[in-house]
Amino acid sequence: MNFSSFLVENLQTFLTYTGFANLTTGHLVMIAVGLFFIYLAVAKEFEPMLLIPIGFGILIGNIPFKDAGLQLGIYEEGSVFNILYQGVTQGWYPPLIFLGIGAMTDFSALISNPKLMLIGAAAQFGIFGAYILALFCGFEPNQAGAIGIIGGADGPTAIFLSSKLAPDLMGAVAISAYSYMALVPVIQPPLMRLLTTKKERLIRMKPPRVVSQTEKILFPIFGLLLTCFLVPSGLPLLGMLFFGNLLKESGVTRRLAETARGPLIDTITILLGITVGASTQATQFLTLNSITIFALGALSFIIATSAGVLFVKFFNLFLKTGNKINPLIGNSGVSAVPDSARISQTVGLEYDPTNYLLMHAMGPNVAGVIGSAVAAGILLGFLG
Amino acid sequence: MNRMIMKKRSILKEREKTQRRKGKTILLLSFVLLLSSVAVRAQRTTFLKINEVLVINEDNFVDDYGKKYPWLEIYNASPGTVDIAGCFLTNDISHPKMYMIPKGDVLTKIKPRQHALFWADDKATHGTFHLNFTLHPGKPNFIALFDSDGATLIDSVTVPAGQRADVSYGLIEDGWTQKRLDEELRLNSSYKDKKGDALWVHYEKVTPSSNNKILDTNEKIENFKENDSQGLGMMFTAMGVVFSGLILLYLIFKMVGIIAVSMSHRRAMKASGMTKEEAKGITEQSGDIYAAIAIAIYEVTEMHDDENTILTIKNTARNYSPWSSKIYTLRELPIKK
Repeated sequence: MNFSSFLVENLQTFLTYTGFANLTTGHLVMIAVGLFFIYLAVAKEFEPMLLIPIGFGILIGNIPFKDAGLQLGIYEEGSVFNILYQGVTQGWYPPLIFLGIGAMTDFSALISNPKLMLIGAAAQFGIFGAYILALFCGFEPNQAGAIGIIGGADGPTAIFLSSKLAPDLMGAVAISAYSYMALVPVIQPPLMRLLTTKKERLIRMKPPRVVSQTEKILFPIFGLLLTCFLVPSGLPLLGMLFFGNLLKESGVTRRLAETARGPLIDTITILLGITVGASTQATQFLTLNSITIFALGALSFIIATSAGVLFVKFFNLFLKTGNKINPLIGNSGVSAVPDSARISQTVGLEYDPTNYLLMHAMGPNVAGVIGSAVAAGILLGFLG
Repeated sequence: MNRMIMKKRSILKEREKTQRRKGKTILLLSFVLLLSSVAVRAQRTTFLKINEVLVINEDNFVDDYGKKYPWLEIYNASPGTVDIAGCFLTNDISHPKMYMIPKGDVLTKIKPRQHALFWADDKATHGTFHLNFTLHPGKPNFIALFDSDGATLIDSVTVPAGQRADVSYGLIEDGWTQKRLDEELRLNSSYKDKKGDALWVHYEKVTPSSNNKILDTNEKIENFKENDSQGLGMMFTAMGVVFSGLILLYLIFKMVGIIAVSMSHRRAMKASGMTKEEAKGITEQSGDIYAAIAIAIYEVTEMHDDENTILTIKNTARNYSPWSSKIYTLRELPIKK
């Protein structure tokens, strides 16, 4: 072999290793999806903290390469991404995210008006509505449970549950959950308008009373004991959520609370986002199932939002004048914190520029977080 | 002079305070350590169970030497790794220390919910997992596992006489006890029809070093497919639980709220001598007012146009923290005697 043919041969071998040589239509589709996510985050500012890492993760996960045991892909044992992905597959990123959420959530609105908790419960119909639809589409009960949790509108919960019930669907479930969470400003307002009358949209709610620190400290303690005694399988998520909240409210662990709601949750969000994005390798992800899951995810959000709004209307039948709830906060039972509460505020202001619903909407919003974690615990208990 | 004495006193006071705090921390830490050591102990050998026994091995599992001998399987029912080294296995209750499982072998660590297999071949020289006794086909075989003190019985079983060749005798489910089985029979009415009500059963399909119950299907999921194919049962049950949980939380916080409000009435009445009605008026004020006051104070005292670029000569107040305590970072002042 002369020197030039040696070089040509080497170059040819090298070319087989490039992304261009291994490119498939699937990769291109997924790269387009990743770019779309980044566009939504940058141009539309839809959940940028989630969509930027996930969108970029999709790009990383869909760089085509030759499967030559180079330990590059997220599904190759021992690769860097595979090691980072363990937090998702073993389910320990979501509880850490919940710790941070607990440490940054103020439950005052809920404590001052505890009946708002029931709205958070009603919105969980989205989960079980999607569960029924998924069964109808031919999914197994465990897969249907993993798909249904998209309706809980809680990314970490969706990842946690799907990693336990149907690991093969986890990428699709996570992407679907995060996508629709980012799209709540698009999905929810038309439904809210459709299901309410003008008179209902103008209801002014009683301002929340001042909540004492003792009540705030008691909330995570009672919350943990009650919910976890009822559904022990929700312990990883609820335990960390209430623990984080106690760190915040106790007033004596400021540094721990700040770490949990600051550097810790940021670090885990980055790792979670990028690895969930990278797990959407076209070869594993682009299937008919993924498309069906996306469609079911949209329906679950629609059911959850409608259930929340309709439940408030139903609840109002039993409440005295002056104590009525504005049904525009019904959507916030969907636990996309705080986006769905922000939507209640925005839509409310469209009809009455002096009616601020944000504080009231935060109640069902955080109750939705608790409700979806409880629902996830039930699904895990029944189907896990 | 006075100022120096005062300073010295305050340093001593601070040191005393820190030492007291240190004392408390040490006390707390020792308590936590004690608790964790109890937990570690609990995680140890008490979770071990004799799980499956094969008395007559004619055409079954072979050992590393290619020989077929009776075997017994120990199961670690705990969620943590348990080191079985130092425990004793015996077939004679009057001689509990018959075979000590050697220490120092890495293979004696049984992972959570995993198994260890011992050969009852009376050939202890063959290795850690070869016992110095064997099992007798014609009569009942008593087998016991004792803790490292040689006195605490961890688990025992008597394998009845008349065992068939290559059919093992094992627990109905890995690590189950009679209590666990009774509970299952009580909660699951179809369990008895499917599996019977005996704790120990015979296995034609033996499972050395593996689960006694090998699942061809996921029973829970099959049950749901069979009995709730529409998903309505799941929806009603699960939504019932979600609502119950949140209703309970609602009721408790409704009560807590009532107590908190009445306590704040009482405090307001006591502090300023106002009537009940006046106190009620104050405590029922919404948080909006306080939020507005807080924002106003913040704007007046804290807000700057370009906060990071302003040079200031104002002293910054530092709260005490043991991490920044001066007594740890400065040398002691010379003490005049």
